[in-house]
Amino acid sequence: MDKRVYLDSASTTYVSSEVMAEMLPCFNTIYGNSNSVHSYGRDAKAIVDRARDRIAHAIGAEKSNEIYFTSGGTEADNFAIKGLARAYSNKGKHIIISAIEHSAIMEACEELEKEGFVVTKIPVDSMGLVKLTDLIHEIRNDTILISIMAVNNEVGTIQNIKAIAKIAHDYSIIFHTDASQAIGAIKINVQDMEIDAMTLTAHKIYGPKGVGCLYLKNGIRIEPLIVGGSQERGKRGGTVDVALVAGFGKAVEIAERDMIINQQKLRSIRDYFIRSVQEKIEYVQINGHPQQKVNSIVNMSFDMVDNESLLMLLDMEGVAVSIGSACKAGSTEKSYVLQAMGLDDEHLKSSVRFKFKKNLTRSDIDYAVEVLQKAVERLRSISALTKAGRR
Amino acid sequence: MYSAKTLERFKNPSFAGGLRGANATGRAEDEISKDLIKIYMVIDEDGVIDNAKFKAFGGVATIVACDIACQMLVGKSLEEALSITEEEIISEFNDIPLDRKYCATLVEEAIKNAVEDYYKRLEKLEKKMGFQD
Repeated sequence: MDKRVYLDSASTTYVSSEVMAEMLPCFNTIYGNSNSVHSYGRDAKAIVDRARDRIAHAIGAEKSNEIYFTSGGTEADNFAIKGLARAYSNKGKHIIISAIEHSAIMEACEELEKEGFVVTKIPVDSMGLVKLTDLIHEIRNDTILISIMAVNNEVGTIQNIKAIAKIAHDYSIIFHTDASQAIGAIKINVQDMEIDAMTLTAHKIYGPKGVGCLYLKNGIRIEPLIVGGSQERGKRGGTVDVALVAGFGKAVEIAERDMIINQQKLRSIRDYFIRSVQEKIEYVQINGHPQQKVNSIVNMSFDMVDNESLLMLLDMEGVAVSIGSACKAGSTEKSYVLQAMGLDDEHLKSSVRFKFKKNLTRSDIDYAVEVLQKAVERLRSISALTKAGRR
Repeated sequence: MYSAKTLERFKNPSFAGGLRGANATGRAEDEISKDLIKIYMVIDEDGVIDNAKFKAFGGVATIVACDIACQMLVGKSLEEALSITEEEIISEFNDIPLDRKYCATLVEEAIKNAVEDYYKRLEKLEKKMGFQD
């Protein structure tokens, strides 16, 4: 296997050299514990503070202390859902989420259901958009929290976050959004968009794995998820990993700084990919919203082709893609996101997600499409399905 | 998830594709995974399977299970074909993921359907040619 092309940057991606440069001194030069009072600790704290400032600034937070570092997006989602629900359980026990949330939100809600909370999942339309009328319809007197992701990780559909937040606040409900796939892709300003709590993660924006944060507007209560220390204003115990946090801060800063140029690059990569696929391969369907979507994600169904077989054939030629979400891979479970969007069984089973990174070249895409074309043709030649369907 | 041996067979299955002159076809479908497979056989006058091929809409394990089954079928009598069990197919794999064992069940069912299809065709043919008792 010579050439390799990575088209799975929604799962994770590489760490940029600027981010690595920011992190390196934290391993052997500035290695203090940011909670220690001595100079080593103060040096570390200065780095953590700078990262916090950078993130707060990039998302338009009022104060830097509204950023709580976590071990990643999954922890931040758990922290938000469980922490907010438990802190406001005296007000009510009803939570609203969408049917296409990340599994971290889904499973945190399942745990809360065991504690007596009631969770309503609102459906999405065929393009992956939450219908605002459905949302309003589901709001109850005891609804305390609404959590809707900003950008879906499988199809890239962008929700109308500002409008959803407005609805939540009209009914005095706290609004959380998982913006893991949104940061760097769309403009986010938590004050302007009236977001109360927001999940971010570093490794989707060329930062390191293992770090993320929860933005939580001052004045909103939350129960800690991890106890055992006074770190993060007593809301998240555990020594802060200074290197990871430094890298995260830098990654967010760059994501914001380079958003326009990165989006131009990604859009041209995406458009070239789609054009090439459509020129070379017949019977392809693009899943998701035609316009209201991020530039970096494309979800496609290749009729008559099983997606696991396709993934493996592509992998054998060095092309990495994913089916469903990486957090659910390795099982025969089908994508609940595409299911919620009403895709039929055949299209569900033949769907593949491509996510582009900014340093892909035309020859990378040419190679990937060539491999894809061969694999699709090969699997179609042995498929038990025909254009007419299951007969 | 899969062994090198399984992946090699998946990449280069010997029995994938349509079969010219097939006189028996068996189809089977899995409710949950929505896998669909078809096994084609050429059966000679003595009831021996001369050749077998498959088509599949399914994952790696499904394609490999079909390929294993077709290899087993060639040269067997119909009775022998019917006695192929899912356990035998699974043992050929020796590394099938637990949640993919349904593939072997599917193959066993497709073989039974193919044999049944052969007898039905034979019956029709005999009727047409006036060989009734």
